Amino acid sequence: MIYFDNLSKRYPGGDEALSNINLQINAGELAFLTGHSGAGKSTLLKLLMLLERPSAGTLLINGKNINRLANSKIPSYRRQLGVVFQDHQLLMDRSVFDNVALPLQVAGQPRKEIGRRVRAALDGVGLLSKERHSPMMLSGGEQQRVGIARAVVHKPRILLADEPTGNLDPALSAEIMALFRRFQDVGVTVLIATHDIDLINRMKNRIIRLHQGMVVDDGGIDGSIF
Amino acid sequence: MMGVSMVQSSDTRSRRGGAGIKVGLIAGIRSACGHHLHTIQDSFNRLAKEPLQTIMTTSVIAIALSLPATLFVTVDNARQLGSSFESFSQITAYLASDTSSKQVATIKQQLEAIPEVKSVVYISPDQALEEFVHSSGFGSALGSLEANPLPPVFIITPKAESPMPDQASQLVNKIKLITQVEDAQLDMLWLQRLQSLTQIGQKIVLALGAVLGMGVLVIIGNSIRLAIHSRRQEITVVKLVGGTDAYVRRPFLYSGLLMGLMGAMGASLILVLGFWWLGASITHLSELYGSQYRLNGPGLQGCMLLVATGGVLGLCGSWLAVGRHLKGIKPK
Ligand SMILES: Nc1ncnc2c1ncn2[C@@H]1O[C@H](COP(=O)(O)OP(=O)(O)OP(=O)(O)O)[C@@H](O)[C@H]1O
Ligand SMILES: [Mg+2]
Repeated sequence: MIYFDNLSKRYPGGDEALSNINLQINAGELAFLTGHSGAGKSTLLKLLMLLERPSAGTLLINGKNINRLANSKIPSYRRQLGVVFQDHQLLMDRSVFDNVALPLQVAGQPRKEIGRRVRAALDGVGLLSKERHSPMMLSGGEQQRVGIARAVVHKPRILLADEPTGNLDPALSAEIMALFRRFQDVGVTVLIATHDIDLINRMKNRIIRLHQGMVVDDGGIDGSIF
Repeated sequence: MMGVSMVQSSDTRSRRGGAGIKVGLIAGIRSACGHHLHTIQDSFNRLAKEPLQTIMTTSVIAIALSLPATLFVTVDNARQLGSSFESFSQITAYLASDTSSKQVATIKQQLEAIPEVKSVVYISPDQALEEFVHSSGFGSALGSLEANPLPPVFIITPKAESPMPDQASQLVNKIKLITQVEDAQLDMLWLQRLQSLTQIGQKIVLALGAVLGMGVLVIIGNSIRLAIHSRRQEITVVKLVGGTDAYVRRPFLYSGLLMGLMGAMGASLILVLGFWWLGASITHLSELYGSQYRLNGPGLQGCMLLVATGGVLGLCGSWLAVGRHLKGIKPK
């Protein structure tokens, strides 16, 4: 599903943020990406979102080399992804419903279909009753859940999350993680960057540890079979 | 709950895609139209949300467009004034210089016998020279000429106050047939002056139109730049969830189009009211002169042309701004 082949990323005028990454993440797998600040977690996710391009190496998604994806193909590529941000990136001038509807709107889905799918996604994160609210009226955890609903509303096959529990209390963090696991249960490939070691140790999923741009530990390779 | 429908094995995907192409074409077009309407509505709402800003921008565009448009309509009126006067003209008949005074008398009779002719005035070469010396100030230079170079001339006034142009030229041809008449011309000097003035006017309209058109482009481009700036986060998010460049551009292009159209409608209103207000006085004035002349306003066609121009300028202005400023926003 996701395959990093000897991949490196150097930002212009900087050191290597990622060097010689070799990773394989299978379809339907849930993996955590961890490491100290500056280890390269966000960079790795940005490469997957095509926000950055690798300096060397190959990145294969479903067997397709996305290094050479033309700029005009980027939007349709991104529609296969669901992305959750630490600062959730909700638009405060529109309702919860409209925020969640955005990925369907940009894909030109018919209105009826949008309504149906947005309600299903909001129901999935337990926020159906708040669809008319502004995100500003929601708590931090609720906002993060709206962000998750937006990330999954178009049924992506890959879900990426960069510190989705960054500023939530432990109970809420566990709740969010449980939500991600539910998506894994229905076949979505999930990759989550996080600092929350305690939480992920309890979850018994694959843990990929980065240090100074290199993979120093990959729980998936040691611990699980695939 | 999202349910098991989240699972998308590759074969359900492709099956759904296949059915989607057959069933979805009309639905797709309808949803695209719906999206465009929705975007226009949204652009309009955004303009309505900041009424002061919108009114100011629209007014500036309206004024910028109404200036060249007013001049255009004015020049057009002058041109029409010219063509309506063309027919009043007098006719000058030039006789051969060896015409005797006896011949002059017969020619005068012949001319007066033409039914369309109202009056005939004879100007001898001496009279003409004297008048010329008076009016030109070339007295001494002309005094040194041995012979008077000027031909004897008849000035003929047609009977009909405003004969059709072809009637006038028929009359000219008739006069030319008279022996000793070497040439006859509709006296159109002042008309030629008016025409060249009109041409200058047209050039000024063109130049002013170009300058102010650029101004409108800049005004619209600037407000689109501000709009892009204030919607930065939204643009970023739209791109992150897979919005195409066209999708991102669209609301700004529609805003520009709407601003251009509204500004041009304002300009049309200014023009229609202005010419209506002025028209009453012009009508009164031309009635005093016994003329049928009426001031022409921009008319429906003119207004539509103006609005279309405004729309095109709006679209171009926002297109330029969008091209320049969307590039600066992060995700590609
Ligand atoms: N846009 C950029 N330009 C230059 N250097 C960058 C840029 N983004 C990140 N870096 C550098 O790349 C390295 C990895 O950054 P990255 O954001 O991937 O770390 P991270 O693991 O996500 O850290 P954190 O846990 O603090 O979010 C850092 O040394 C950082 O300084
Ligand atoms: Mg980071």
